[in-house]
Amino acid sequence: MASILLVAELQKGAIREASYELVAFAKKLGGDLHSVVLGSGIAGEAEALAKRGGGKVYVCDDAALANYNVDGWAKAVRAAADASGAETVLFSNTPVGWDVAARVAAGLDAAFVSDAFDVRPGPVFVRRIFNGKLDAEVAPVAGKVVVTVQPGALAAFEGTGSGSTERLSVDLSGLRAKFVETKVASSKGVDLTKAEIIVSGGRGVGAPEKFPEVIQPLASALGGAMGASRPVVDAGWLPHEYQVGSSGQVVTPKLYIACGISGAIQHLVGMKGSNYIIAINKDADAPIFEVAQLGVVGDLFEIVPKLTAAVKTAKG
Amino acid sequence: MKILVCLKQVPHQDARLDLNADGSWIKEDGIKFEINSYDTFALEEALRIKDADPTSEVVVASIGPDRVTQALRTALGMGADRAVHVKDAAVDGSDSLGIARVLAAIATEVGPDVVLMGLMSEDNNASAVPPMLAELMGVPHATAVVKADKGAAGFRVERELEGGALEVVDLPLPCLLAVQTGLNQVRYASLKGIMAAKKKPLDVKTAEALGLTGKVGAGAAKATIRKVYHPPKGEGAEILSGSADEVVAKLVGKIKELGLL
Repeated sequence: MASILLVAELQKGAIREASYELVAFAKKLGGDLHSVVLGSGIAGEAEALAKRGGGKVYVCDDAALANYNVDGWAKAVRAAADASGAETVLFSNTPVGWDVAARVAAGLDAAFVSDAFDVRPGPVFVRRIFNGKLDAEVAPVAGKVVVTVQPGALAAFEGTGSGSTERLSVDLSGLRAKFVETKVASSKGVDLTKAEIIVSGGRGVGAPEKFPEVIQPLASALGGAMGASRPVVDAGWLPHEYQVGSSGQVVTPKLYIACGISGAIQHLVGMKGSNYIIAINKDADAPIFEVAQLGVVGDLFEIVPKLTAAVKTAKG
Repeated sequence: MKILVCLKQVPHQDARLDLNADGSWIKEDGIKFEINSYDTFALEEALRIKDADPTSEVVVASIGPDRVTQALRTALGMGADRAVHVKDAAVDGSDSLGIARVLAAIATEVGPDVVLMGLMSEDNNASAVPPMLAELMGVPHATAVVKADKGAAGFRVERELEGGALEVVDLPLPCLLAVQTGLNQVRYASLKGIMAAKKKPLDVKTAEALGLTGKVGAGAAKATIRKVYHPPKGEGAEILSGSADEVVAKLVGKIKELGLL
């Protein structure tokens, strides 16, 4: 049976749920499952993984791995891949996975599949491309394959397993990257997580002055807050605290109105938990319409000002 | 400081995405292309290093057919010193590792202190080439870089984590930085810059000249895209029809129904 190695991750002192999603992914793929856990003082966490489906768990317990280090992770995962004889290496597509997985693939001379959300017999991996507009089926030709898996794509494995743990010693001298510190997000300014209604603008708003002219008035009329998608913040049109998405704020208002937002995955992650979503976009194929309940295919500069006026009239 | 910037030319973000005849990729003829947005931030970062230290050299490299010349000319117009264009049908069909091999061969010729490139491409969204190139070059790297401060011996970078958290990492030279969008404000090419760009060197190379015969292209790819398709539509949104006034009346009705008005 082909051997699979799953690279587990720790978060707040425990194996993160995404790693158990990898267990589920590995079971769907089928094979002899191994895992590797990297960190410092992690024997308990490794035991927990072994008992919840992680199979044979290699434990790289080293002070040099107390914080993420690209060189250290690449070396240790390579060592675990060699020890397990893995044909397939699975990472979560997280800040660790997207940093080191492709590097490991190049070192192993393996095929690489990024951000897969499903696997079909073959194996054929399915992933989203063109910022969510298309899907692609990718097949490794032969030999080893390294895959990063989209967090949340599969339900985490909740069963038990009779795995074991084994210490893996790796020479971690000569690491070039040096961890300095982690900075937590500053919570200055706008707290969108408490807003009941959010009106967000995207690239389709077109210019920075259109936010106070068109988007903010609707948000104000509804008694809500204004938000934005990443391209708006990247362009410097609005500060980062307005950003809704995986690298901004994750919001769950009663009503979310997306104006000129196409719906890249990183934005959808931040707002798809909203109770009700209205999308206004000129492109009928925009992925935002897949998560919205109500959609308007049209010009936001025509619709939004009329809506603002109608809301004001309704409020008297 | 010698800086290598890797650029990819991708379909314009607003381009209509129709599938090609065998459904293995999009139909590329007739659509507009642009420099991958992530890569423009990498180029800008390189140009800022050169602004601060005019002895620096910025080399831009790209792979692809004739159309790529335009992307490289734009980069030269913005201030890059010279360009390398790998134009060779033998590279077509390469997977990420094949592309990384081509760029690694260019890096061997250029000998950069730092390689700057975008975190991912807007078309394939894979984030694969930068870490692979760093591995092939044998240098450390960081991805999702939102701040890069150059010191005497290397870079102190901030990497984007989840939920707005950042990781601060020191990397010695030489190294590779894969940048996130938004780490700077990208300049436009000036008319003077565009005129000057016409005289800057743009070398065209083949896979053979880079010693890559048989190591790149479809034959060497370890993964292939079997098919692409529009994601299956779920229930999706109820799309409102009618005049703008009718649509707005329906929206107001819905907001009232939700008890929010």
